[in-house]
Amino acid sequence: MEIQGNKQLTLHMNGRRKIFKFKPTLGKILIYFILILIAVICLLPFYSMMITSTHTNSEISRKLLLTPGTEFMNNYERLIHTVPIWRGFINSLFITITSTALNLYFSALAGYGFSKFDFKGRNILFLCVLGTMMIPSQLGIIGFFKLMNSFHMLNTYWPIILPSISNAFGIFFMKQMADSSVPKEILEAGRIDGCSEVGIFHKLVLPMLMPAVATLGIFSFIGKWNDFLTPMIILFDNDLQPLPVMIASVKSQFSTDFGAMYVGIVISVIPILIFFSIISKKIISGVTTGALKG
Amino acid sequence: MRNAINKSRYGYYFVAPFFITFLIFGLAPIIYSLYLSFTNWDGFTDPVNIGFANYERLIHDSFFFKSIFNTFIIWILSVIPQVSLALALAIILNERFIRGKHFFRAVFYFPHIVTPVTLGVLFFLIFDWQTGSVNKVLMELGIIHAPVNWFNSPWLSRIIVAMVTMWQYFGLNMLIFIAGLQAIPNELYEAAEIDGASRWKIITKITLPLLKPVLMFTFITSIIGGLQLFDGPLMIGNGPDNSTTTMVMYLYQTAFKNFNYGYGAAVAYAIFFIILIFSLISIKFSKLNKVEQ
Amino acid sequence: MKKWLAMILSVILMVGVISGCSSNESTSSNANKGNKEVEGKLVIWTFFGQVKDMAKEFEKKYPKAKVEVKVFPGDQYKTKLLTALQSGQNVPDIFDLERGYIGQFVNSNFAANLSDMGGEKLVKDYVPYVQELGRDQKGDLKAISDHSSPGGFWYIKSNAKKWLGTDDPEKIGEMVNSWDKIIDLGKKVSKESNGKTHLISSYGDVYNIEAYHMDPWVKDGKLNIDPRWKKAYKTQKEIFNNNVDAKLDFFSAGWGNAINDGSVVLTAMPAWAGFMVDNKGNKSNGKYGIAKTPTGLYMGGTYRAIYEKSPNKDLANQFIKFIASKEWQEHNLKTTGNMPALETVYKDNLDSYTSPLFGNQNILKPYYDLVKDIPAQKADKYGEEILSLWRKVAGQGIKDNANVDKVISKFKKEVKNAFPELQVD
Repeated sequence: MEIQGNKQLTLHMNGRRKIFKFKPTLGKILIYFILILIAVICLLPFYSMMITSTHTNSEISRKLLLTPGTEFMNNYERLIHTVPIWRGFINSLFITITSTALNLYFSALAGYGFSKFDFKGRNILFLCVLGTMMIPSQLGIIGFFKLMNSFHMLNTYWPIILPSISNAFGIFFMKQMADSSVPKEILEAGRIDGCSEVGIFHKLVLPMLMPAVATLGIFSFIGKWNDFLTPMIILFDNDLQPLPVMIASVKSQFSTDFGAMYVGIVISVIPILIFFSIISKKIISGVTTGALKG
Repeated sequence: MRNAINKSRYGYYFVAPFFITFLIFGLAPIIYSLYLSFTNWDGFTDPVNIGFANYERLIHDSFFFKSIFNTFIIWILSVIPQVSLALALAIILNERFIRGKHFFRAVFYFPHIVTPVTLGVLFFLIFDWQTGSVNKVLMELGIIHAPVNWFNSPWLSRIIVAMVTMWQYFGLNMLIFIAGLQAIPNELYEAAEIDGASRWKIITKITLPLLKPVLMFTFITSIIGGLQLFDGPLMIGNGPDNSTTTMVMYLYQTAFKNFNYGYGAAVAYAIFFIILIFSLISIKFSKLNKVEQ
Repeated sequence: MKKWLAMILSVILMVGVISGCSSNESTSSNANKGNKEVEGKLVIWTFFGQVKDMAKEFEKKYPKAKVEVKVFPGDQYKTKLLTALQSGQNVPDIFDLERGYIGQFVNSNFAANLSDMGGEKLVKDYVPYVQELGRDQKGDLKAISDHSSPGGFWYIKSNAKKWLGTDDPEKIGEMVNSWDKIIDLGKKVSKESNGKTHLISSYGDVYNIEAYHMDPWVKDGKLNIDPRWKKAYKTQKEIFNNNVDAKLDFFSAGWGNAINDGSVVLTAMPAWAGFMVDNKGNKSNGKYGIAKTPTGLYMGGTYRAIYEKSPNKDLANQFIKFIASKEWQEHNLKTTGNMPALETVYKDNLDSYTSPLFGNQNILKPYYDLVKDIPAQKADKYGEEILSLWRKVAGQGIKDNANVDKVISKFKKEVKNAFPELQVD
């Protein structure tokens, strides 16, 4: 993180210096114009969504709406009456956090295992791990559904959370990180001190892998937050559904009530928007370093 | 020496959770799906083995072929502008003189963290021909005189789905490209600048060739991701004449809407096969590239 | 320390997995308590929120009984229900079925045979089509509804006066009792309003009104296309091309809006869709009238079946008896405006029942005439699915101005694809 910051700083300083070299030409103005235009295009649908959610259905269907109205609470109440959307939010948070925790822990564990232990068949097993990345997630979905049925796990969170333990990308990423940032000498030192192998992992390795854990955590969190197909077919109870499934059900239930639908999507976007604007620097640098290593 | 051999068994313990979980939640369902693909299971009765009937039906299923076609069209329509835009933005935002870099990066990346389902519903609403704001804006500006029924035209529907997909992913790819750009050593640029190379020359002669591996990586992941396109288009709908039904949507509808679980399993295997072929082709491609370099 | 934490965590996880199964089983066996008196606990699954009121009324009548209603709104209900029935886990005692997919469920082994449980007596006086829809292919009663769902042409009275010259439901019904008349009248309205106002909302009304008068789609495993569909298609094309309709899809936002603002004169919609009218502060009371459609029209309908393996069959049967009773259906009519399934309830209230939206019009009269006009047909696995394929293909054909033979050949292809076991020539 530190290095990253320094680099940006120097880039910035460089920038200051160079500005004098390049005059504010037409080209530069054009570039800014394009950047701002794209930024506007990125944000406009969200703006439109927020504005529209504050109007009545008849206004929505008749006029172009540019300014906020007063109907938000009415639309909101109609929505809340049938869809427990905040419940969906909490469900999504629960699923995402537990899955991400499992994913991170076990990815680090297996990545470390592949990186630092020279066991028989290691390379073949690692190839197997990589091979599973090629399998599209939908391939087994029907068998998954029926199998979970015979395990009596339908309508529970287990089939959604537990598979996070086997995340091939996570292992691959963690192995690479462990290869480069966990020196063997430290492990030897730990062993001499009489730590158990599991103890070494928890006390020495895991802290060293923390930056990688944070990066992988962002990916895992976003991926799980957006998960849709599995919860949709596994869960029946409305009170268990995560947010994406609730949004889909809002769409099917409020087919004529656009006001309520808009409120639904506003609720699904705004908290993420706030969360993102607070820690966007972390997320973006995480994604950037993750992309580089992955 | 003895010590090391002794410890190496811990490797098995550490990687075991992955394999155990994968066997239960990954491999077993896949094998079970294979079995189901040879049955006529419909949910109302128990599965009965019907041999290859589902696969025979599949090779005559023009709707499945159409969904393959749709998926590819939507992928092509979205990936080309998406990668070019992402690349252009990455290069611009990597320029030294640009201010507010972080702001732009954050804004461009933001659509990617919004749930695809939400985006699908949002664009379904915005492009609704009676109530959506796109028509209203266009009419206000005098570009069109009567509302356009977007989802009534196969190509417009596909373009909208592709656009939404592009909009969702260009920010992510931009960040990946920026990462790639930052990995290019600064000295190369400095040397080029000293040599008096023009900006354009630097981009075409240094930046792009060095970025090739990253480009290949993005391309491969976008194929695999693009062929599995599902949530967003599902919310936007099937389009006229099933023109925006993607392969995975077809799988979902066959299995979980029409309760043809057996046939759905066969469709899933067909999709897997298609994705496998394309992954192999693209890997081969990237390997050839590496050899060249 | 941390090592122990991780171990404990994984142990908890494993225990959770194991107990996850056993706890499920215990809940289903717990419910196993047979009772002769009307007491005990009943679980109902539905997609329809008003079932809660139904349960309350039932509990009022039988204070010892408890009814738990689980509402699953939205289009996932069917999948959820089927999954539960399949797995035999947490299955409700009574489950609701929508008209759209009732055929698949009544012909399965999941629904108990109500004929054996005294159901025939309950539906003796039912509107014929409602009674017949609950029967399986053998003719046994598998599901019973507590309402009929007729529709009619809803119109804003002042609007009708302006465009049709009258707001009398009888006269309007007369003016639109055939599609030819509708087309002529529609052309006139469209012309006089400079294309701003339309007589009906969509060419799709033709399907809605005609669909259940046609021969069944499947006969002896063969696709059977009633020749009247060709005629209906021509009518639709004429409606579409002459701006008789406003081109607002059924239950779209614009469609809902048109009911309130009057840009469509006659909206064909079911009696249960009153919630589409914006009646804030009772401003729409007395605003509407209902006229008869060219033929009887019904839309949707909720049917109730008892789970074959339910341990509470007696109580469940008691509940079915309750909803099939005159007492409940009259109460339901008066409180929610849902039309009854018993002809006797219709007849008794024909001259007395009014509904706020419609002022002093006796709306049961047109509805009763229409509901009697609907032929009794059994629901099969294919009917609704094939109908929706036809809607899709024909709808596209009309927009593309395609000729009917092309539409039919495309339709056959779709049917063959969706149901390869059917013979299609």
